[in-house]
Amino acid sequence: MEILTGNELTSGATVYLDGHGNWIEDLQAARLFSKEDKAELDSAIVATKATGRVISLEAEEVEQVEGRIVPKRLRERIRAAGPTAPLTLNGQAYDRQHLGEDGHVSI
Amino acid sequence: MYRYDEFDAAFVAGRTAQFADQVKRRLSGELSEDQFRPLRLMNGLYLQLHAYMLRIAVPYGTLSSRQMRKLAHIARTYDRGYGHFTTRQNIQFNWPKLKDIPVILEELASVEMHAIQTSGNCIRNVTTDQFAGAAADEIIDPRPVAEIIRQWSSLHPEFSYLPRKFKIAMTGSPNDRAAIRFHDIGLQAAVNAAGEIGWEVWVGGGLGRTPMVAKLINSFVPNEHLLAYLESIMRVYNRYGRRDNKYKARIKILVHEEGLESIKGQVEAEFAEVRGGVLTLPQEELDRITAYFAPPDFADRSSDKIDVAYQSIIDPAYGRWLDNNLHPHKQPGYAAVTISLKPVGGAPGDATDAQIDVVADLAEQYSYDELRVTHEQNLVLPHVAIADLRAVYDVLVANGLAEGNNNLITDMICCPGLDFCALANARSIPIAQEISKKFAEPERQKDIGDLKIKISGCINACGHHHVGHIGILGVEKKGGELYQITLGGDATEGASVGKIIGPGFEAEQVPGAIEKLVDFYIANRTSADEPFLDAYRRLGEAPFKEALYGTV
Repeated sequence: MEILTGNELTSGATVYLDGHGNWIEDLQAARLFSKEDKAELDSAIVATKATGRVISLEAEEVEQVEGRIVPKRLRERIRAAGPTAPLTLNGQAYDRQHLGEDGHVSI
Repeated sequence: MYRYDEFDAAFVAGRTAQFADQVKRRLSGELSEDQFRPLRLMNGLYLQLHAYMLRIAVPYGTLSSRQMRKLAHIARTYDRGYGHFTTRQNIQFNWPKLKDIPVILEELASVEMHAIQTSGNCIRNVTTDQFAGAAADEIIDPRPVAEIIRQWSSLHPEFSYLPRKFKIAMTGSPNDRAAIRFHDIGLQAAVNAAGEIGWEVWVGGGLGRTPMVAKLINSFVPNEHLLAYLESIMRVYNRYGRRDNKYKARIKILVHEEGLESIKGQVEAEFAEVRGGVLTLPQEELDRITAYFAPPDFADRSSDKIDVAYQSIIDPAYGRWLDNNLHPHKQPGYAAVTISLKPVGGAPGDATDAQIDVVADLAEQYSYDELRVTHEQNLVLPHVAIADLRAVYDVLVANGLAEGNNNLITDMICCPGLDFCALANARSIPIAQEISKKFAEPERQKDIGDLKIKISGCINACGHHHVGHIGILGVEKKGGELYQITLGGDATEGASVGKIIGPGFEAEQVPGAIEKLVDFYIANRTSADEPFLDAYRRLGEAPFKEALYGTV
């Protein structure tokens, strides 16, 4: 299974395509593409590129573990959650980037 | 410090306005991402894993208090309250928004800073010895020539689309603190038989997937001909560099494949053509630039002394800081102070906006308004009176900046790794954090002595692992992280590339593996005066390997 992910143009935040054609922050709401959905995945990439608002598009392999979507690559798990390194110098946990003005991007 | 003239100011302002318009056109949809990407990279704006990253140039690692305060302001206003100082003596912000980039660049331009040529296949920021202009052992302050190289290389039309990026490092001291033998070109101050000062020119050094020690291509180039000589090297590289293969495109590969003598012959032929032409540096221009870097008008503090042994008894932490974080100054009664950005458990090279402001204040009050960024990801107050050391230290303590660990095992170089970097294969920062916690005990660090650990999260080697006495390279294996350990690297004038000692380790095993190597070193050194690197060179790889892996 795969998900489609990218970065929001304005904030750079990690985003995922959901089942309604919206680009969202929550990995768990990402649309799952099976091998049979290849044509739909490709058309979603084309449609997203046409918006120009989500960049660095990639299809990523995932597994479902106890009902949760878990990317196979560590890189993708870090993209989803934010930096893993312990606390920043300000005493706060590193948070991931959140959506900016383009939170409404859809295809 | 150098101050922009009208040309510099107009050039940076023009470029800032140009990029602001490009951002506006990208946001409006007029420019596609394919069109915009090379434009943003030319202005130091990358897209990393979680957000954009803006890399700001700090020419030859020198900053004023005013510039430092501006960096704090940017961290506070447009980022997340911290910045990351890098091995290129630059600073990176990890979380800026695209729409804020134009105003950030305007803010930078107001203090004579920018992000131009911090990315792309061009000549990058020229780096130097962090103690330039202060070090007791230097032949000449390299910064005036570094500034001249900056001016020559900025938007040089012939060298804006090189086969690959190009890095120049220079040192005015015979003791190389700028890793010049691991740069595309390294310049080391030299004195000829007539007593004139010029430059040894080293070429074809580098790290990355093919680490190489630079070769000496010319043992003495006079100041007046240096630009002509550099231009000759660049022309040969630009002509023959491997544009067909990104992984073979650096000048180190060209020099290695063609041979030094062949390259030298072509450089000399080119030099014969351009020498004495427009690139000849007039003495009056050199004098004009040098005047900007004139030593401060030091107050006479030559009778000031400090009894470090006594201070160590009274206040051991202060004693450690004095022992490790001071560098001898050319002016009697003064010292260059290294401010460690390596607190135990911290991310190497990170500083908060408040800390950046504090360091700016200290520079203004105690260091003639001067600051330096080191390629080992620390900061330097270059000109502190010995009588002011305690006052400086107390402020550092109050702001979490007083770690007395310069050049010790916890003073690691560490790249951002997979926590931030889009190129990385493995995390680096958590590895550094765990190692620093394991060796946190000050007495143990003191016992171990000088030991440089350098950590990279991928083969591109931004964390300089090849030249760590102990190097750690993170790689991806079967979807997870694995860390290879190298031994025997050296970034100084004794340049050497570390060797992989054996199979890699999982992340949680790395601190223990380092401890085994350190324990073996301590048990087998001739005395506490024999540093780790010397012991490794004396004993060789085999016993360290056996200590790490058992009998093989």
